[in-house]
Amino acid sequence: MPVRHAILGLLDQRPRHGYDLRAAFEALVGGPAVWELKPAQVYTTLDRLERDGLVAPVERVRIGGPDRVVYQLTDDGRSALHGWFAQGVHGDHVRDTFFVKLMVAVATTGADPRAVIRQQRITLYRDLHALTHNRATIDRTCDLARAMLLDKAVMHLEADLRWLDMVEARLGEIEQQPMPQPLPRRRGRPPRAAEDDATEMAAG
Amino acid sequence: MAIVEAKQLTKVYGSGETAVTALDHVDLSVAPGEFVAVMGPSGCGKSTLMNLLGGLDTPTEGSISIDGKEVAGMTDEELTKLRRRRFGFVFQFFNLIPVLTAIENAALPLTLDGMSEAEARAKAADWLAKVGLSDRMKNRPDQLSGGQQQRVAVARALVTDPALVLADEPTGNLDSRSSEEIAGLLKTASDEWGRAILMVTHDPRIAAHAHRIVFMEDGRIIDDTQIAGSDDARKAMEKVGLL
Repeated sequence: MPVRHAILGLLDQRPRHGYDLRAAFEALVGGPAVWELKPAQVYTTLDRLERDGLVAPVERVRIGGPDRVVYQLTDDGRSALHGWFAQGVHGDHVRDTFFVKLMVAVATTGADPRAVIRQQRITLYRDLHALTHNRATIDRTCDLARAMLLDKAVMHLEADLRWLDMVEARLGEIEQQPMPQPLPRRRGRPPRAAEDDATEMAAG
Repeated sequence: MAIVEAKQLTKVYGSGETAVTALDHVDLSVAPGEFVAVMGPSGCGKSTLMNLLGGLDTPTEGSISIDGKEVAGMTDEELTKLRRRRFGFVFQFFNLIPVLTAIENAALPLTLDGMSEAEARAKAADWLAKVGLSDRMKNRPDQLSGGQQQRVAVARALVTDPALVLADEPTGNLDSRSSEEIAGLLKTASDEWGRAILMVTHDPRIAAHAHRIVFMEDGRIIDDTQIAGSDDARKAMEKVGLL
């Protein structure tokens, strides 16, 4: 989860309190409809960052409601932030919820995997139209970053739709094949091969 | 005979007081070789119309016929075959498969439909030649320019010899030069290769390539005009207040 490092980055700009961080994060990712941050998550993250010495409280302010603690970034926090920049982010497309549903449907008597694919296609098209609509309302001259994020989502949805066509076309073959099974686990004592090797080496 | 004919097509989402009529008794007929652009404000029913015509959703009322055959009476299997064999889809991004060559990408819908590799390649080669890529067939997408990848994507949409090509905001994210190029290709597909094309777009410059613009609002068709070129397109849009 990038929330921890996003908070470090936001505190690198200037000291902020939790409420401010939450609003700034949500604005950054495209609004609470896209990625809502629970206040509790902000405060537990800040507690951990403080415990790890990456942020430190500087003052308490009061604007109407309760006291708010303003945090600032420490030197350790700044190097943690730059360490994060120095690393790549792996794409995660293999752990796929729809794939699990489809495979279970293939193995379930009375389920229709073709209907599961059709429903998925309808769902993805709806998502695609909603995203396309959202993107059309964005002014690229002042909100290009958000437009690019939506482009990414559209690209992936379209790839998913093409992939669905491929799976649908080859479903018959998939159904002919045995379901992936867990590897058999040996019972009893572990094999003694390692010891034997060691004895042989010692003898040789 | 029309390639696709929708009669009194109606789609209602939800029921009772929360029901929303996305499409309200729409009649639309597309002739072979006709290039139709569908325009209108968001929420006007364009996407619903495309989904229904593309066999992705079922109408609440009304009927759709493809090649003169009523869709409602078809089994799911027949619908799947219809989708695969009689429709071509052009998306916003080309999404070619990076490990496959241009010819393999273009042949994919055919091989997926069970056609022999050799026959599929021969057909794909024909279409790649038509879109001007005869010397690029063995290149992978990363060895092609953006415009060339686009051409492969169009060849892939046409290779099954679809009665109808559905293009949903096909230039949604492209720069203006690429947009013009893809609109020009779609026009060629209709003018020279006799494909019927139904394209949803919000871009007046792209719609200007079509033979006909259908304007929608609140789930209905409010205007349906034949055009020839951008002057006509502009006048048609002014008439319905889109410009």
